[in-house]
Amino acid sequence: MSEYAKPLPYPTVESEPFWEGCKRHELLLPRCRACSGYWFPPGSTCPHCWSTEWDWTKASGRGRIHSFGVYHRVYHPGFEGEVPYVFAVIQLDEGPRLVSNVVDETPEKLDCDQPVEVVFEDVTEDVTLYKFRPAG
Amino acid sequence: MNNLRGKYAIVGVGHSKLGKVPEMGPIGMFAVAARNAIADAGLTKADVDGLITRGPDDVYCHHQRVGAALGLDVTYSTSTDNGGASQVLGVAMACMAIDAGLCSTAVVGFGRDTWSRTHRTETARKRVNIGIQNQGEFGPEFGWFGAPSNYAVSARRHMKLYGTTKEQLGHIAVAFREHASRNPNAFFQKPVTLEEYLNARMIVDPLCLYDCSVYIDGAAAVVVTSAERARDLRQPPAHVMGFGFGNRLSGWFEESNMLTTGAKEAGEGAYRMAGIGPEDVDTAQLYDCFTQMVLLQLEDYGFCEKGEGGPFAASGALRLGGRLPTNTSGGQLSEGHTEGMLQIVEGVRQVRHEHGADRQVKDAQVALVSGHGGNTACQSAMILAREAS
Repeated sequence: MSEYAKPLPYPTVESEPFWEGCKRHELLLPRCRACSGYWFPPGSTCPHCWSTEWDWTKASGRGRIHSFGVYHRVYHPGFEGEVPYVFAVIQLDEGPRLVSNVVDETPEKLDCDQPVEVVFEDVTEDVTLYKFRPAG
Repeated sequence: MNNLRGKYAIVGVGHSKLGKVPEMGPIGMFAVAARNAIADAGLTKADVDGLITRGPDDVYCHHQRVGAALGLDVTYSTSTDNGGASQVLGVAMACMAIDAGLCSTAVVGFGRDTWSRTHRTETARKRVNIGIQNQGEFGPEFGWFGAPSNYAVSARRHMKLYGTTKEQLGHIAVAFREHASRNPNAFFQKPVTLEEYLNARMIVDPLCLYDCSVYIDGAAAVVVTSAERARDLRQPPAHVMGFGFGNRLSGWFEESNMLTTGAKEAGEGAYRMAGIGPEDVDTAQLYDCFTQMVLLQLEDYGFCEKGEGGPFAASGALRLGGRLPTNTSGGQLSEGHTEGMLQIVEGVRQVRHEHGADRQVKDAQVALVSGHGGNTACQSAMILAREAS
């Protein structure tokens, strides 16, 4: 197996449990005990009500493509041979938006607001990435 | 209320050599721009007691480096950190500092060796911008690099909701390039046709090459002092009639921030202070990192309704001779990207009536100048006027 050449995430103390969840193929979101709100990226304080009482909660993994762009330019050697690839802002059903890729579909067939679901890619022994594909 | 309307003015503007300047670093270019701006005002080093800079984002305490290069001791000085919204903010900070009695005459400027640092070597050319977002996760692993993608997702959503077309974005690029053909300092002076625009290679679809601003080496600076002092100086003053800010710090992808930006609040603040509305603006010098950002600002600054930016641009309104001649230097899309500093310089030159007939907006009295940046969250706007009344 050739070495994985793309950038890998550098987890922080606050995001570590999220990436551990990905390794178990679970998409985890912080959820506030006080206001029930979700947020992303992970952080120690609820941005809605500023409570610090919250739990990691397994998300449905379902959402919609809020918008997307198709990279034709290579900015990193690891992505040579990958273009065109889809960079997307995903609106999760739980509320938060996050950045990811949409896979398993040609870019021409994608649209804003299209339903998607999470898929996990074990890219190295230690790292699993969350990506999305059109939902049936 | 302590209204600063018309109390302060930009009295000098200057820039370094622009374009490819491999023989100079960013601090050196800044020093040249500052010297030229001070000379343009008819002032000397001894008159300057304020320095506000926004420089390379990898230099700690940038204003100290610039001050050292100029051999300058001042009372009021700092470096700003709002990205491309910093330069208008710097002028506003100068006005406020003078009003507070902290200094009397301030230099505000920007300098960066962006062309050289991205073309110096083959590696630099290929690996543009890696790490500039200083983000270790939730981006790079998905191939999210550089600024174009932020505006690509904005454009696509705008197209989806309002029916905006690629061709309408093209009218922005084509109009600014036509303006650049009248500017001997512009990096690209050869006009581009709409057909060439539509056939250009994609960078991040739906944005192509001509939707993106141009990396250059260069610095520009302005001198701010009181309107009273300005009367005795060399140049007709560009009065600062109002300024405003909008910082949607929650993020570009949150709420509808990629469609309605902090420019809305920035414009409302600037118009309120100036006591005018968008209908009073004779020329706009808008922060054009990408065509899409121009389109959003046309809407957010009230020149047209939300969603109407595309048809407004396609109507020819932005061209010299149009309803709202915009980025009459060619802007960052054609003259070159100096994080908005050259937009301020052009706004000043327009209200001074400094240009020849081919580039001068006829009888320009009021200019709106905008800034935008700080990882897309920050917006700044300023109204400049020939007369303070």
